[in-house]
Amino acid sequence: MNNFLQIANSGILYLIVGVILAFVVFFCVFFLVRSYRAGVKMGMDKKLLRRAITSSATFTAIPSISILLGVLALAGSIGVPVAWLRLSVIGNLQYEATVAAIAAQGMGKALDASILNMSDLITILLTMTIGIIWSCVLTVFFLKKYTKKLAGQNKIKKNSNAPSFSSIAMISMFIALCAAFLGNYVADFIVNGVKVPVLTAIVSALIMSFFEYLIKKKGHKGLESFSLALAMIIAMCAAIVFSKILGGM
Amino acid sequence: MNKDFDYDNYIAKTHFFGRTFMLIGIILLIGAPFLIGAVTGAKINWPGFANGVVKVLLIYVPSSIAEFLIYTPLLGVGAVYLSFLTGNITNLKLPCAFSSREIAQTKTGTKEDEIIMTLSIATSALITMLVIALGVALLVPLTPILQNPTLRPAFSNVLPALFGALGYQYFLKDLKLSTFAMVLMVVICWFVPSLIGQTGTMIIVLGAFTLGLAFVLFKRTQKKAQDLIDKNKSDNK
Repeated sequence: MNNFLQIANSGILYLIVGVILAFVVFFCVFFLVRSYRAGVKMGMDKKLLRRAITSSATFTAIPSISILLGVLALAGSIGVPVAWLRLSVIGNLQYEATVAAIAAQGMGKALDASILNMSDLITILLTMTIGIIWSCVLTVFFLKKYTKKLAGQNKIKKNSNAPSFSSIAMISMFIALCAAFLGNYVADFIVNGVKVPVLTAIVSALIMSFFEYLIKKKGHKGLESFSLALAMIIAMCAAIVFSKILGGM
Repeated sequence: MNKDFDYDNYIAKTHFFGRTFMLIGIILLIGAPFLIGAVTGAKINWPGFANGVVKVLLIYVPSSIAEFLIYTPLLGVGAVYLSFLTGNITNLKLPCAFSSREIAQTKTGTKEDEIIMTLSIATSALITMLVIALGVALLVPLTPILQNPTLRPAFSNVLPALFGALGYQYFLKDLKLSTFAMVLMVVICWFVPSLIGQTGTMIIVLGAFTLGLAFVLFKRTQKKAQDLIDKNKSDNK
């Protein structure tokens, strides 16, 4: 291990990152407990509240491994603590990897531990933070006003008895989100001949349709919280088989 | 629903705690590179920083504004504070919250939905941090397993596996909109192949078009319904 990575992976950096992440954990636990208590006081079913927690936990566990892999991928060039911090707060793997590379290029370097030093590392970290902090800044200064405006619009709509557009907007945004990813895999297949992602997505959709059949037609309600995680695991296993057969395409 | 519960007070306090925690979070995150520099004797390379940050801001400030405007009505107050500080919104938090909404059968903008969204995002953020912390603790023994070439295709296809299943659930809700969004995405990427892989940008583009079409279809349905009512009225006369 070179001198840069020795410092970048030193105990003091773990301590600094650990303190920041402990604060974020406190923030989440505080809001979790507070909203659970509020739900109970409002008269919501405790079973429903617990189900929201367990389904979110099972939903998140598998995709979180991909974020962990992002930490592994970045750790080789910027050290474990900084990669751990960046992938635990704001941003996402796509952003962090891209911006780390742009920041290194800005200093006339590459994202390579053999040519970086600690000054480069803190410059990269500052660039990554300043680049992505704006949604947090907007939230601090404008969320209250914005939510009041949205609530006012909803009241006007409710008073006029007009059917709400918000639920349609919500579904259309989510369709756009899914289409952006799935359309990307289809285009990658058409343009570059990359088959594994599109085949994995198809397998995942087929497994999900089977689970939906079991839940809705056969009454296996217990499957509801785990159907997505199971569909993902099966599709990910299928991705290994496809890669073996198609040679990584 | 318990009518004694002061929901407005709950939301006001959510804003107070959210803003306070968020401000502390921003200070800690911006302070981290300076603190690391102070303890290791390193200094920020300001010309290098300026060079890099200009390019980054040009891309990410508009998308941060768009994300703030789009995600806020979808998530609710508590969930927005948590989501923006803990990140991974499009690829993890949003699908997770929507899945919880489906299970709880709550509707956007309701009091129950505010609670479910906050619970969902807080749990999701905690699990992600737990998985990463465990992974970091087990980094040395886990590395050969996670980086095993046989398993690599599984982890590099987490997102196709996620969106295949979610796409099935959501596309069935509106086939017309889904077909439009999918065809638009494929055609754009076909003609501009450099956009393949730029899903972050394309979500905003596709979101705007899909939302626009949804609005047009919504208005057309409303007009048809109104015309039918008017026709019935005139027939009755």
